[in-house]
Order: sequence, then structure tokens, then C-alpha cells
Amino acid sequence: MKLQHYLGGLEGLGPVSTETRVFVEEWEKRIFGIHTAMMALSPQLPLPATPSEFRTVWTWADLRKGAESLNPFEYFKFRYYEKWLGGISGYFIDNGYITAEELDALTDEYLSDPSKPLPTGGSPAIDERVVQYLVDGDSPKREATVSYEFEVGDTVNIKNVPSVAHTRLPGFLRNKSGTIETVYEGAYVYLCDTGSDGIGAPMPVYCVRFEPEELWPNNAEQNFSLYADLYAHYVEAPATSGTRA
Amino acid sequence: MTELFHYRQDREAYSAARVKALQALLIKKGVITDKTVDTVLDFFETKMGPFNGAKIVARAWVDPAFKERLLADTPAAIAELDLPEGMAGAEGEHMRAVANASDVHNLIICTLCSCYPWPVLGLPPYWYKDPTFRSRAAREPRAVLKEFGLPIPDGIEIKVWDSSAQIRWFVIPERPAGSEGMSEAELEAFVTPEAMMGVAVAKAA
Repeated sequence: MKLQHYLGGLEGLGPVSTETRVFVEEWEKRIFGIHTAMMALSPQLPLPATPSEFRTVWTWADLRKGAESLNPFEYFKFRYYEKWLGGISGYFIDNGYITAEELDALTDEYLSDPSKPLPTGGSPAIDERVVQYLVDGDSPKREATVSYEFEVGDTVNIKNVPSVAHTRLPGFLRNKSGTIETVYEGAYVYLCDTGSDGIGAPMPVYCVRFEPEELWPNNAEQNFSLYADLYAHYVEAPATSGTRA
Repeated sequence: MTELFHYRQDREAYSAARVKALQALLIKKGVITDKTVDTVLDFFETKMGPFNGAKIVARAWVDPAFKERLLADTPAAIAELDLPEGMAGAEGEHMRAVANASDVHNLIICTLCSCYPWPVLGLPPYWYKDPTFRSRAAREPRAVLKEFGLPIPDGIEIKVWDSSAQIRWFVIPERPAGSEGMSEAELEAFVTPEAMMGVAVAKAA
């Protein structure tokens, strides 16, 4: 199990940050820009081809997989965009776009001369595609014919699916019971196939309501409800065995 | 948390140099251009940002029928307004709004990562991305909101929405007292990203 999948409800962490800035260091803007460009240039999208040399898939799922694979202490140690910088640099090295040696060498150069200019050039078609991605998005909704096993008000159980590299099932909901709040129209894919975790193909998504007493018996605040949007694969009918009222 | 860990002394200078080195290599190798990063940042300063959310909420405050449509079919209602292109674009393909009321307070969280409705709010602030907030808000939202300076009385129900699939959420805060008779443009100034995520309420300045 990965701590990053089980953050909800974790205790002993101390006060929250109330920092309202998006970027707390100027350098963070660059890694955000690079990540967004990678998503936009990722070849599975139905956008115009460009001269960009980017030829491999990069989605949120890849960024999240990296964060979820970190040592959990490092996950807490490093700031948000520090984790992005580590994950994205590693991706470009692992996929052969750059070498660790050239990245280290150039890092040293910019460390000793931070004002050293960036190279220039590149086709405007690349940046046009980046903007088009932001405008168009990448809708996960599909017209696929799916059956809805549940309706609003149904009691459901949340499965304990195999724990793998990446999931969209918050750990604190596993094996818990909730009530269907919303049945979303249509079917939703995920950004990748998560294997035995079970999402990727078009399937319904439900919004499920949970009572705090169910999630954390005798250890939660009163008078609140927690709602989570869950892919249908994570949701099952309650067991019918045992006594029923 | 910082004192729990040791960092290199040149922590920020090193990251600044490393990300600039990465950007330089990607430009040199033809992956991105010398303008790509600025193009992205400019988009979030001018097209996708909290200035859109403020317009949406201000309209909902002055037009109850619009508010009803916004709650019933969020993307369709947003499409009625004169906002930049891309309001159903990246990270806003399927948005859903919930409204605060005298007896309900809504809080949006993402316990698995940092899902955020880009078209209407831009990029998530640090508090939203912080693992401590994401952990604690799921079990003790009142204690967390108090740390934000927002005590919620026991009699008010809190609804916490965890964004774990592909739907992106935002809150329509209540119109602040003292804003009667104000124009939409004046009201927009009272709508913050924090109010639209539920860690603050809108206040008339």
C-alpha cells in the first residue's frame, strides 16, 4: 500500500498551510509550463501534428504515478513543484530525450550564471497546439453504451481493489459503505488503464455520500458528509449474506 | 513541517538552475520552443483564472434563475456568459457547482492529488495542494476551516467534496451582507478563489 493513496484522514500532521499563492518561487512557473506543454503535445490527443520532437505519452496519470511512487517521507518533504521537477526530469531522462549528465552539467552552468540566456527557436505550430489543448481540453466523457447498476439513494459498498501503481480510489473509502448521491450521465474513461485497479475503459461514474461515523467511527467531527466521485468499477452492491431486517 | 527535514542549503537556487537547464535542453532538442513556457503562463494570466469564477458567481448573486441553471447544468450555464474561449477546456471539461446556504457550507478537496477547475479558477493555491490540508479536511473539516479563520457553527452542515474522478468542483458562496444594490462588477471583487473552494466566505470590503 502507498501512503499517498491513503492521505484522507491521516492524523498528527499539525496545522494546515494557508498560503494562497500558486507559485512561491519564480522557478516553479517554468516546470508548470513544461508539464502543461507535455500534456498538450502528447501524441494520443486529436490535435494537429507539430514539428515537436515529443513522441511519448504524458498525461496527469504519468505525473501522479511519479508522485505516488515516491518514498512517502519524500512526498511530505518536498514542495509540490519540487516533486514535479524531479518526476518530469526523470521522465525525459528515462525516455532518452536528454541524459542525466547533460542535465547535471547545464544545471551547474546556470547555478554559476543564473542570467545565462536560454536558447532560442522553435516552430510556432508547437505553441499553437499548446493553446489549442488548453482551449479544447481532453474530455473523458464517451458516448459508449454502459449500464447503470445503481440509482440515486442506493446503498453501495466500496471495493478493496488490488493496490497497484496508480488509482483513483481514495484509500480511506475502501471497504466502506455509502449512498449514491448522483449518477453522472454518460460514461467516463480515465487517462490510462490502471490494470487490476480496474479503470480506463468507459464506465459510469457515481457521486457517493459517506457518513463520517462510517469512515472513522468515534473519531470524526459531527454534522458533515463526505462525497466522492467514484468510477463504477470501485462500487459494488452490498453483500446479501447474513441477516436482513 | 519544514523543520522535520533537511534540505540542501541552495535549495531554491539549485531548483531554479535545474529547471532552467531542463527548459534549455528541451528547446535545444526541439521538444518545446523558446516561447512555450511564457505562452502557457500568459494563458493563465489572461484566459483561465479566478477572474472568470468571480464573474460567474457575481452573475449568480444578481440573477437567481442563472444560479439555478448553474447548479443544474454547470457547463451550459457558464457557456451563456461572455467569457474567454476554453471554459470547457483543460481541467474544466466537466464542472459542477454547489451552493452555500444559511444551513450548508461546502468545501472542495482532492485527497489523491490537486484536481482544480482551471477555466474558472486558474491554478490551485498552495494550501489546496498541501498534503496536510488534503489529509485533515476529510476527517475534521471544522478544525481545518477554523485554522483558515472560518469557524463554522455546529448547526451548519458541512459538505466535503473529494474530487477523485474527472469532475471538477467549485462553490457558489453566499452573497455578502452589505452588498445590496451593487453592480456585478463591484460584486466580482468580493469573490476569491478561497471562497470558491470553501475555505473562506465572500465578504464585502
